[in-house]
Amino acid sequence: MLSLLCCFMSLLSFLIHSCLRPWTQAKKSLKDEKEIDEGTYVAGEEETPKGLLREQMPRHVAVIMDGNRRWAERAGLLTSQGHEAGAKRLIEFAELCFKLGIETVSAFAFSTENWGRHKIEVNCLMSLFQRYLKSKIQFFQSEEIRVSVIGNLEKIPESLLGTIKETEEATKRYKKKHLILAIDYSGRFDILHACKSVVKKSQQGLIREEDVDQTLFERELLTKCTEFPSPDLLIRTSGEQRISNFLLWQLAYTELFFSPVLWPDFDKDRVIEALVSYQRRERRFGCRI
Amino acid sequence: MDFNDPMLALSSWIGQIGDFGLGLLWRFIHIVVTLCHIVSGIFEAVESYAISLGLIQKYSSTDIEKLKCLAVVVDIEAARDVSKVVELLEWLTTIGVKQVGLFDSQGLLKKSKDMILEMVPRSVLLQETGEKDTSGIALEFISSSDNKEAVVKAANILFQKYLKSRHPGKDEEGENVFTESHLNEALRVVGESVHVPDLLLVYGPVRSHLGFPAWRLRYTEIVHMGSLKYMRYGSLLKAIHKFTGVRQNYGKGLMVITESRDSNRNF
Repeated sequence: MLSLLCCFMSLLSFLIHSCLRPWTQAKKSLKDEKEIDEGTYVAGEEETPKGLLREQMPRHVAVIMDGNRRWAERAGLLTSQGHEAGAKRLIEFAELCFKLGIETVSAFAFSTENWGRHKIEVNCLMSLFQRYLKSKIQFFQSEEIRVSVIGNLEKIPESLLGTIKETEEATKRYKKKHLILAIDYSGRFDILHACKSVVKKSQQGLIREEDVDQTLFERELLTKCTEFPSPDLLIRTSGEQRISNFLLWQLAYTELFFSPVLWPDFDKDRVIEALVSYQRRERRFGCRI
Repeated sequence: MDFNDPMLALSSWIGQIGDFGLGLLWRFIHIVVTLCHIVSGIFEAVESYAISLGLIQKYSSTDIEKLKCLAVVVDIEAARDVSKVVELLEWLTTIGVKQVGLFDSQGLLKKSKDMILEMVPRSVLLQETGEKDTSGIALEFISSSDNKEAVVKAANILFQKYLKSRHPGKDEEGENVFTESHLNEALRVVGESVHVPDLLLVYGPVRSHLGFPAWRLRYTEIVHMGSLKYMRYGSLLKAIHKFTGVRQNYGKGLMVITESRDSNRNF
């Protein structure tokens, strides 16, 4: 009864307070308003949602965007429309992450194993990547987002390869926000590629055999394009609980967040849920604190 | 001006009541949420207990053949309590799991290997059984040194092999040394197992695999089980049962949605 009474009183006081606000605001001087404005809002930043601490934001978030096809089936749409919705969601996701202060976002767009899918679907995906990248170059430039594409890239169409190079070139000078797209990527291929890279450098006399350690090896992985190759948080949507050959080496101490929501439905609230869950965890990186 | 001062005072007074009321409301909501968590926890405990007693029919008929290799990641705090690990292994033996990889980042379980093998009935080291079927449970002890360090050592082995196989003017030939199967072989030479677990259970406060050998985790299902200290047989059986109901496409092919309890996978 007491709590209900207090709820009622607080609601009533809120309503009265709102009505009285014009009177109280008349008392504030222009000088005070200027003091409030200066230095408290930075253009382009998202106000940190309640429950999240800006200083505990992950530096690098990776996402496995699963569930586009199932989403399309449930919505009565074509698979291609599901992938379109997924691409749109990725841009929104990346934008939100950058606004919240996350510096690097990696997305698993197409795995090496996905070549085994139906040819029509694969062609549709390649066409989607090309169209989206091309249409978003100006957006990436205006938002100062650096775009990198990692993966084998040997089988992808020439036209898409050209668009990838164009996008990377147009955005390479931006430092603060980094979007990494994994296309034709395999974690095992990444490790093997690093082995070959080490061999090549050794042949060129750049490194000796005894220099090869974990740190050097890590610098030869495809994620060498970023200062933070190991994600702090991995999100996988649609309820599957696997990392499916994505960033195998890099995910050693990454927080894993498996969401039952399908990727095109993974909206702002879901992102915040994942980040809140991340910030609550006690990460020890294998050591005892 | 005169009119504004009483209005300010009134506004301030109302604001204070409002703050008090809101504070009470917040605490009330907090209590409700806490109660929900408690009820949910009780429900899970009851369900787990019911599964342990065999009261829930569907968990009594788990197709354990699908689970060829299970891995368990244990937080280092939990790894210090070997008795809990032994209890878990006894449960897994009861369920019928044949092969288990035990991982902790610091190698504490490796150090307690002999004790664990002694305490778990019909347990043997995986390296000793090879690929043979055993009546008991084959155990493998893994730590972080088997992860990245092992891959680097294996990479060095491949590098040496490449140098030996290279012919002048035929650089591409050496590249045939760098395939997945070659790295698997090199890992075996280094002394590492390449058994790929079907299911990875993580016991600890953190939802991370804590450095489990990356090369082996490609399509492994990862399930976070909570604290080892409060582990339940029912939760373990439920996680294994859920895994056996899963169908993987390994990234290929179109899926077919059925009305069975199977969940369909893309990757």
